[in-house]
Amino acid sequence: MYSEPAYTLRVIWACMKKDIRSALTERVFTIIGIFVPVNVLILLSLFVLAGSQAPTAVVMHDTGPYAQQFYTAMSHAHSFRLRLADANEAQNLISTGRIVAVVTIPADFDARIQQNQQVQVGVQINNLNTDFTNDIRRAIPLSITSFYGKAFPNLVNITPREFDLQPQDTDYIPYLTVSILVIGLVLAGILQSGTAAAREYENETIKELLLSPARRWAVILGKMLGAFAMSIASVIVVLCVLIFVIGVWPVHWLEVIGFTLLSLLIFIAFGTLLGTLLKVRQPVIALAFGTSIPLFFVSGAFGPITFTTPAVQVIAQIFPIYYAIVLQQHAFHNFILNTYGIGINALILGVYALVLLILASLVLRRSTLAH
Amino acid sequence: MITAFFSAVWVIFRKDIRVLLRQPANIAATLVPPIAFLLVNALGAAAVGRSPVALVTLDHGAKGQQMAQIIHNADVFRITDASPSQGQALLKNIDVVAVITIPADFTQRVDAHVSSPIEVTVNNLNLDFTNDIRRSVPDAITQYYQAQGNASPIKVKMQEINLRHRDVEFFQYNVLPTILLLLMISGLINGGLATAREWESRTVKELLLSPVSRAAIIAGKVFAGFAITFILGVLVLLLGYALGWTQPQGVYWLSALLTIALVSLFGAGLGVAIGAALRRIQVVIVISINAAIYLFFLAGGIGVLAFEPDWLQNIAAFVPLTYGRHALEQAVFYSASDQFALDMTVLALSALAALVLGTLSMRRGITTS
Repeated sequence: MYSEPAYTLRVIWACMKKDIRSALTERVFTIIGIFVPVNVLILLSLFVLAGSQAPTAVVMHDTGPYAQQFYTAMSHAHSFRLRLADANEAQNLISTGRIVAVVTIPADFDARIQQNQQVQVGVQINNLNTDFTNDIRRAIPLSITSFYGKAFPNLVNITPREFDLQPQDTDYIPYLTVSILVIGLVLAGILQSGTAAAREYENETIKELLLSPARRWAVILGKMLGAFAMSIASVIVVLCVLIFVIGVWPVHWLEVIGFTLLSLLIFIAFGTLLGTLLKVRQPVIALAFGTSIPLFFVSGAFGPITFTTPAVQVIAQIFPIYYAIVLQQHAFHNFILNTYGIGINALILGVYALVLLILASLVLRRSTLAH
Repeated sequence: MITAFFSAVWVIFRKDIRVLLRQPANIAATLVPPIAFLLVNALGAAAVGRSPVALVTLDHGAKGQQMAQIIHNADVFRITDASPSQGQALLKNIDVVAVITIPADFTQRVDAHVSSPIEVTVNNLNLDFTNDIRRSVPDAITQYYQAQGNASPIKVKMQEINLRHRDVEFFQYNVLPTILLLLMISGLINGGLATAREWESRTVKELLLSPVSRAAIIAGKVFAGFAITFILGVLVLLLGYALGWTQPQGVYWLSALLTIALVSLFGAGLGVAIGAALRRIQVVIVISINAAIYLFFLAGGIGVLAFEPDWLQNIAAFVPLTYGRHALEQAVFYSASDQFALDMTVLALSALAALVLGTLSMRRGITTS
């Protein structure tokens, strides 16, 4: 006979081993599950790759020095990907959707500037939506003002003088990809643990588990450890891509490891809870994707939530994804994204983990199987 | 012969619909992702393009006050007026992206025609927000000079010509890709599951051994997936109409409905093909959701394709959803039929290709099941 602790350990070990083996028999699912977070990382990164830079053709009917300076001012406006084109080519590009704006510098640009006369720069915009269109509408005046600031500093003497709070600019991709790591943790955790829990009900093997003398918390712990082992593979893939391919080197390595494991624990506990409640893998998988990606969007993935609307701020703070993003941004970039402090953010995640673990155990304890 | 064909299609269609309706969790799982996306869009839209800043006006002179007023009216910021210490506190608490300070000697310096900087302290966490500020402050300065009329030293004016007759709000713009995401997820999952379930429950043997053509089996399953998906798509479009988000006019209702129908058919056809090829429910679900999300992103689901690099636009040209999105945009926002024939042809051919793939997968099934 085993002693009680040894027996419990054996239960935990057996449940973990069984779940890992079961997962490995579903090879396609396991492989896809591992690479889902990387897929999301790639897709989201691709679509912010050039999102803030409007592809624009410049038709220069005048190539004088002022026209050239205006072109240079546009290229420094943080807003355009410029290419030179003739009028026909530019029209063709904008009408086929390859570019979103055509800026036409008239033939008498230099002459009029020299004579201090009005001159109109034509700006044709593919006004697809106000967000992108307004960026262009603001960037042209910015170019005009900075052109004057450089060419005629005595005439245009009001200029912005910028002081940066952070020692260096962080590009959008390195910022966003750290947030995407968190959605990787969410998906990996929920998919692995949720399907493992639901599988027991689908195969009706939960009966044996529930009728066995094993402690239910030991069963839960074993299942969660199994999901943890499977999820770690996914997390390692995402971390490797983030650090070695995208080149985001963490400032605090230990925080990365600690917060990653803590976050994973939360989402594995949530997945176990979801799988136990729903008892079918299909909705578990659909809900894993269906809820985590939209929640990721409102949880401060793109910047501090205080920069967005009050409704979004309230929703974000209900879910652990927000705190996980705050902590990972600190671990990777040393950014402070809320005023709670790192300790409190970590503590909130710890409380989430504990509550979800207890809930998952309670739900399993009260679980039954209909015949 | 034809009667038998349609009878088989009808029976399979009815059976699949009944099975689906018995699983409300699946219906919920289909609806949750796009509705969550719509909600997220609606909640976040108000903040798009307008960064929160603190404005510290230390100058009480005419020019300083005028500049402060212009910054207020510029509609590019969400402004909190603050003292220097309040401004610093707001910045430290991450309540604002930047503190804009109009210095005490601003009017004096402008009148003296010497350099008159406006100080901008920016929390440059990431370039998205930082560049918004870098664009918006000079924009306000430009408006200050424009307000001087003919006396303005800036003689270069922007003559804007819009390609489209109306601006579309960011939130409205994102509704259509979300409808497409709904169509793809619903089509792929319902079509895929209806087919894979036959293998998991081993009822495929009866189907394949029955004196019914493969085409009838495929058609029945695709028709069921199509019907559910199309109804869901139309319901969301009507919801968008009721809320004022998507309002096609006149005949463009028809082109919007036709686009939804063809995308639904493509999704359901592809779903049946995936279901027949993979034959495992769990794998079908995960592959279907991944495929739907890939197609959604590659068709410019969260951005604007025209802003993306050429190579990405070239990839998008091979994604059928790109054409669905274009056709819907034209019908719903611009009341136009620009490239309508091309869009419909690509969608119809894609749906046909999906149906052929499904039939081939099913045909393979008789030898291996």
